[in-house]
Amino acid sequence: MAELVSWVPESVDTGKPSAARLYDYLLGGGHNFAADRALAEKFLQAQPNARTIARLNRAFLRRAVLFMIERGIRQFLDLGSGIPTVGNVHEIAQKADPEAHVVYVDFEEVAVAHSQLILEHDPRATIIQEDMTRPAAVLQAARDSGLVDFSQPVGVLTAGVFHFVPPQADPNAIVATYRDAVPAGSYLAVSQFTQDLQPEEMAGVVEVMKKSQNPMYPRTKSEIEGLFSGFELVEPGIVPTPLWRPEGTNTDDPDKAGIYAAVGRKV
Amino acid sequence: MELPDLAARWMHALTSTAYIPLSHAEIEQALLDTLRELPESPESVANRLVSLHATGPDSLRATIEVLSPTFELPVLARLSSAYAQAMRLDAFDQQEQIKVAIVRAKQRVERTLQVSQARFQEVFDSAAQGIAITDLTGRCVEANDTLAEIVGLESGADFIDRELRDFYHPDDLAALGASYRKVREGHVDRVRDQRKLIRADGEPVWVHLVVSVLRDADGRPTHHVTMVEDISELHLLQRSLDHQLLHDSLTGLSNRQHFISRVERQLDGDPITLYHLGLDAFSVVNNGLGHETGDKLLKIVANRLGELAAQKKAVLARIGGDEFALLTFSDNVTSTIEEIQAALGEPTFVDDHGIALSVSIGVVDRPPAFATAAELMRCANAALRQAKARGKRQWALHDPHDDARRRGRYALAASMPGAWEHGEIKIVYAPVHDLETQEVLGAVARLHWDDLSHNDTMALADSTGLSLPIGRWLLREACAQAARWVEEFGDGAPTLHIALGALQSRDEDLVADVKRALDETGLPPERLRIALDISSVLAGDDNALVLHDSGIVTALDGFHGGHDELAVLTEVPVRSVITRAPAPRPDSPLHQAMRALIRTVHDFGVRFGVDEVHTLDDAEHWRQAGADGVIGLLPALSADEVTELLRAASRPPEAS
Repeated sequence: MAELVSWVPESVDTGKPSAARLYDYLLGGGHNFAADRALAEKFLQAQPNARTIARLNRAFLRRAVLFMIERGIRQFLDLGSGIPTVGNVHEIAQKADPEAHVVYVDFEEVAVAHSQLILEHDPRATIIQEDMTRPAAVLQAARDSGLVDFSQPVGVLTAGVFHFVPPQADPNAIVATYRDAVPAGSYLAVSQFTQDLQPEEMAGVVEVMKKSQNPMYPRTKSEIEGLFSGFELVEPGIVPTPLWRPEGTNTDDPDKAGIYAAVGRKV
Repeated sequence: MELPDLAARWMHALTSTAYIPLSHAEIEQALLDTLRELPESPESVANRLVSLHATGPDSLRATIEVLSPTFELPVLARLSSAYAQAMRLDAFDQQEQIKVAIVRAKQRVERTLQVSQARFQEVFDSAAQGIAITDLTGRCVEANDTLAEIVGLESGADFIDRELRDFYHPDDLAALGASYRKVREGHVDRVRDQRKLIRADGEPVWVHLVVSVLRDADGRPTHHVTMVEDISELHLLQRSLDHQLLHDSLTGLSNRQHFISRVERQLDGDPITLYHLGLDAFSVVNNGLGHETGDKLLKIVANRLGELAAQKKAVLARIGGDEFALLTFSDNVTSTIEEIQAALGEPTFVDDHGIALSVSIGVVDRPPAFATAAELMRCANAALRQAKARGKRQWALHDPHDDARRRGRYALAASMPGAWEHGEIKIVYAPVHDLETQEVLGAVARLHWDDLSHNDTMALADSTGLSLPIGRWLLREACAQAARWVEEFGDGAPTLHIALGALQSRDEDLVADVKRALDETGLPPERLRIALDISSVLAGDDNALVLHDSGIVTALDGFHGGHDELAVLTEVPVRSVITRAPAPRPDSPLHQAMRALIRTVHDFGVRFGVDEVHTLDDAEHWRQAGADGVIGLLPALSADEVTELLRAASRPPEAS
């Protein structure tokens, strides 16, 4: 047995940076390691506005959740939720309605263990360890969790997730499977990096991330539109994050937001 | 500036430095509250900022810029230093939390690894194909026992650190080297090939090889996996022989050996039930319709039972000519018996002969876990014999108590030769008393083994075929002892009586044995009385006659007073008869009958002796009925004890 262990790879390796912990660091969180911070510094060199981009993306998630709550959604499926950081979906949703249910989905071991710690005492929220690009398995686990009633509208959240899904994984087909599992009146939120804004910086980021465990795939506005097949985009459509239903007057520069955001309603 | 305006400006400055998950109004209200506290307690304001997550790299600078015109430097200095401290503690908390998460994640991964490792190990160990994992230089890091078997090594461990190519045929080395390289370099996923390996004993063996590669997390090749299947004719022949050795050629069912090994494997698991089936009157079919028909019938029975066994997930075997065995798990005996009879009960047509089938069944249900498979088979067989004894289509459950009794007797018989060899069977001497004079007439030499009486010991000896050698030994040893007594005590020595078992009584060599014993020991013939089993005389044996002619006094043991026995007394010259019976009490009607019988015996000139008389009352009753002597009034003694008694009796009176 001893000989075998040596050639089976270890899967929890804090020496390798993870996109989830990089995001946490950019948001000012402390749930990260030296390797994550080193990658973040390179990321910041390529895109000096990275902290703002992260903040704006996280703020969009909050507004999207509150928008769905306002439209009557009380159960959320947060795909690729990453490690819990400031302003988690269940905190936002349950502050608005304590009865709201949230199912997080992530595949990375540390993110899952961390989420379990945070959610230990919350019967209305849970984390499923599954790859969000395998929708059938995710949906089965979500059904098994008992927290999602698929006869009622569901808020499907993919904030800063699809730019980690390569084209060959067919993102449109992945979304379509989730779409077919939820009833009309459900909502889909997407935010994802784009090369339409600051193309030079975006190219630099892609280069930096190419060598990490989580290479990135920015998409154009029309490619992102393809994800919403079967959905009706709500106003204002696909826009840089700070322009999506801002709270009060927006003071951030949309051209430096890096990420497009949109919410659609299943018809 | 008014505090609400200041709070609004502060909110705008902070929200562009950090993500605060609250609405603008909420943030503004929270900041306004802290502003009112600030002059008094800058520390609590600092803590509030950190808990709001106003912790961006520029959050403190933005705060100081907004607040500095309104508040004094000492207050802002305290705020800054408290903020730094709160940030530090917050960072520690978060690090602690992520550390716990890491530890948990690691534990889970390790557990998953262990499970998949165990799963892998099982596949690896139990695979019917040989498997070797080699590093990129070709050295084995792991190989299974199946591979060891193929190349003639003891176990998979023998491969460790050996080169797999040592087992390849030299002619194949170049081609195989190229195959491994192609797989390693990723040109193909795997290579399949048919090659010759060289066994440890130098013999070649033909194999199918499949070579593939293992890669690490970064996709770099680290090891080769080589799967090996033995396709040599020898191997195939062996497999076929194994099948023949374990299966019945007529029905294709498992045979007895195979069945026993299957039973053995199940003994520790679910409760089992063993059915031993014997076809009723199969010999009638075989003899009446011929063996071919019998064989066809057996195949039909095997098919029907096979279907039943498949339904019940049971194990079926043909364990004898017309006998089958069924092993079931967690079973209901009566319903299974019904199912068996129903399966066989449908009329069977073989070669136009309609044959009705039934079986008798012996059952061992839920045996204790310590029973061995061989014991269970024996018990099931015993139960089948019982069932057969009751007639056709019967079944019997094995009864452990009955079995223990029978087995106790068998075990005793089986241990008898050893006991005799080890001197555990002894000769003892019981006195024969004259009922009239109350004198000791002689001593009966008897066998004594543990708690068993002479007769039980003789009966056991008869059942093992040991009675002849033991009888000869008894004859010789007792004669030698009696001769020593005659030598020491002269006329005071007891006359030796020897009662022979049924087998020895009609042994052709008996007379020669007796004569040899007398010659070799020097015992005078008149000091010996031989009691023959009366059954031998009734069967027409002439040993009694020949002994009489040789001058040896004989008696007949086992006398019951039957007509044929009385008739024998008129023909064979015997001195006495010996009986075993309850003492005839004077007030019982039997008393007169017994008196009459004894008188008849006396009329033939024959004396009447009684064995197993243990009380003086019984002896008196026998005396009144007319009997002459009894055995059993005093316990049997060893030769040494008898010698002691004789010495005491012959001492001058004043010495006592």
